[in-house]
Amino acid sequence: MSAFVYNRRVRDAFWQVAVWAAVVGLIAYFVRNASENMAKAGIASGFDFLGRTSGIELPFLLTRYTPQSSILDLLWAGVVNTMTVAFIAIVAATLLGFALGIARLSRNWLLSSLAGGYVEVVRNIPVLFFVLFWYFAVIAALPGPREAIGIFAVAFLSNRGLTVPTPLATGAFAAAALASAISIAAQFVLAAWVRHRRNRTGRGFPLWTSGAVLIAGVPLVAFAAAIAATPWDTPVLRGFNYRGGFVLIPEFVALVAALATYAAAFIAEIVRGGILAVPKGQLEAARALGLGPGQVLRLVVIPQALRVMVPPLTSQYLNVLKNSSLGAAIGFPELMNVFVGSALNITGQAVEIIAITLAIYLVIGLAVSALMNWYNAKVALVTQ
Amino acid sequence: MTNRVTSLLRFARRRLFATPLDAVITLVCCWALARIAEPLLRWLVIDATFRGATRADCTGAGACWVFIRARFGQFVYGFYPIDQRWRVDLVAVLVIACTALLAVKRLPHRGALAAGLAVVMPPLVLFLFYGGFGLPVVETRDWGGLMLTLFIAIYAGLLAVPLGIVLALGRQSRLPAIRTLAVMFIEFWRGVPIIAVIFLASLILPLIVPSGIGVDRLARAVIGLALVVAAYMAEAVRGGLQAIPKGQSEAATALGLRYPAATVLIVLPQALRIALPAMTNEFIALLKNTSLVLIVSILDLLGVAQAALADPAWVGMTLEAYVFAGSIYWLLCFALSRASLRLERRAALR
Repeated sequence: MSAFVYNRRVRDAFWQVAVWAAVVGLIAYFVRNASENMAKAGIASGFDFLGRTSGIELPFLLTRYTPQSSILDLLWAGVVNTMTVAFIAIVAATLLGFALGIARLSRNWLLSSLAGGYVEVVRNIPVLFFVLFWYFAVIAALPGPREAIGIFAVAFLSNRGLTVPTPLATGAFAAAALASAISIAAQFVLAAWVRHRRNRTGRGFPLWTSGAVLIAGVPLVAFAAAIAATPWDTPVLRGFNYRGGFVLIPEFVALVAALATYAAAFIAEIVRGGILAVPKGQLEAARALGLGPGQVLRLVVIPQALRVMVPPLTSQYLNVLKNSSLGAAIGFPELMNVFVGSALNITGQAVEIIAITLAIYLVIGLAVSALMNWYNAKVALVTQ
Repeated sequence: MTNRVTSLLRFARRRLFATPLDAVITLVCCWALARIAEPLLRWLVIDATFRGATRADCTGAGACWVFIRARFGQFVYGFYPIDQRWRVDLVAVLVIACTALLAVKRLPHRGALAAGLAVVMPPLVLFLFYGGFGLPVVETRDWGGLMLTLFIAIYAGLLAVPLGIVLALGRQSRLPAIRTLAVMFIEFWRGVPIIAVIFLASLILPLIVPSGIGVDRLARAVIGLALVVAAYMAEAVRGGLQAIPKGQSEAATALGLRYPAATVLIVLPQALRIALPAMTNEFIALLKNTSLVLIVSILDLLGVAQAALADPAWVGMTLEAYVFAGSIYWLLCFALSRASLRLERRAALR
């Protein structure tokens, strides 16, 4: 008997079963209470409400949603808005963050101190502060449409938001996208062929130059041509507001600006840490081999720095995605706001609505991490 | 004197004007700094109004700090009754006194005293804030401002640290089923937005307790925050656990200690010391995220500042309110991050 009780495998099995049983029991208890409470309060359950007409007006739309659409369409409109905000904010934060991180490493004392000061100020303030500040203190304080700040005379920033021109036809853009895709694919094929030839004959190829042309140059020219060839609906001031174009509402502009300026401080630290993590000996060795400054950066510093930077960058990108839910605090119709806010108000089915919302954030988050993990595996150190 | 001048000149030549490009960068930075600093300084200090009592006293073009003075009580105590505010002050004095006492390195029985205070203080503070037993009751909806920010951060932290340690141990467990459970729990709470969790807590918690039991609104927010923070704390503690060589727990087992004793006496004390800077950083994040309770209309420091903007007697005080609230958050978090940096350096010296 005691041999059985003291058997390690028996004890292991016992503890695992016991902990799981306790957790499952607790959840069952919660579910029972919830169903009792909901029955008492007369709250419906199930997912039938998704098919009901929503009746909610959305101030910012990228889908074909109308107030006559179903709640499922409302949910989709919210998801699209969330992903749009998160995507634009991530791109802006990455650009700003890289600039700040490199500025912080500058030999110039003033530049590095200014970048350091920005990082120290921003990192110690709540992100909600940024969202409210940009919305109530910055965007609300902008001049009205009549004195709007023109950006190259095509987009106009005012307290009514950012008015941008919209293309009246999309054919040229589809062609440009296709051309870019072919060009980028060509670079990958070329890279594979160069690798194959180098392994066989040892002959090199200016892959960076071809990459600059095929990945950046061709798409740039293609889209520039598309922009020139497409007729545009440009915003024009009529009376007190703009006619034509697409209005990025103040909530959108404030949310993107807040998320980008906030995340940039954290990305700057990641960039700085990544570059500093490259051992000095690597630079010295590269110079000793006769590589020029550009080659040292391209072939030695960047590949090693990226390896350190990718995992923390992933979690920053996920933070931007999650923080985009703060749009709810200023009334931007993203997932949290349209679903946990509006849809909950008309249906009252808290459990289902929260479960769907959490599940969507988890799925988007897992997709982003999977993408970044794939990239990380590509740049990671290959060890024997 | 000349020595200092030459060293300053050398610094300027090496760090500001080393190359023509450097000189251009320096000049552009100077120009930008002057463009920003001059109006900022004017608004903050030179043209600002400091004396007075009403909106009408603010005649200058700068900030109206009269507003902050008039609202100071609300920024600190929220809507806590004015004649009961001494209770909050008493808590502040008690907490500062205890911290100062424990900062004395050569205090006899310092560890035991710290443990005792950690057990006695939380319920005592709760009693002083809420009341009962002779003290008039102050409902949690009247709490607010800086006091509430610190209350939520500290109580959510107190709940999150033990839970985080258990989760970290679970994630490092030898037993696969327990490891899976811990990973699922941690990744779930880390994967969802905090305001979604605050909503979850405020809507679902009242549903899952037996009917008839009410859960206080503030308690729901604290529990919601604590669940998220516990998941992040668990990752910080895991970092500490992974830094402890396996030989430590093996030696403990060889000496005849079972898993609980080996963990509590040998592994955790070392792991927590290593994890302390990371845990402090998580606490800073928590202090900042406390502001998110605004979403369920609990007014902490940022919330009170936001609410004060709606007062018709003080129209147009947006910047003043934000600058004040933002500075307080910044001071608190900056001080904590310096402390965390010092802990890290001290740990590195060991």
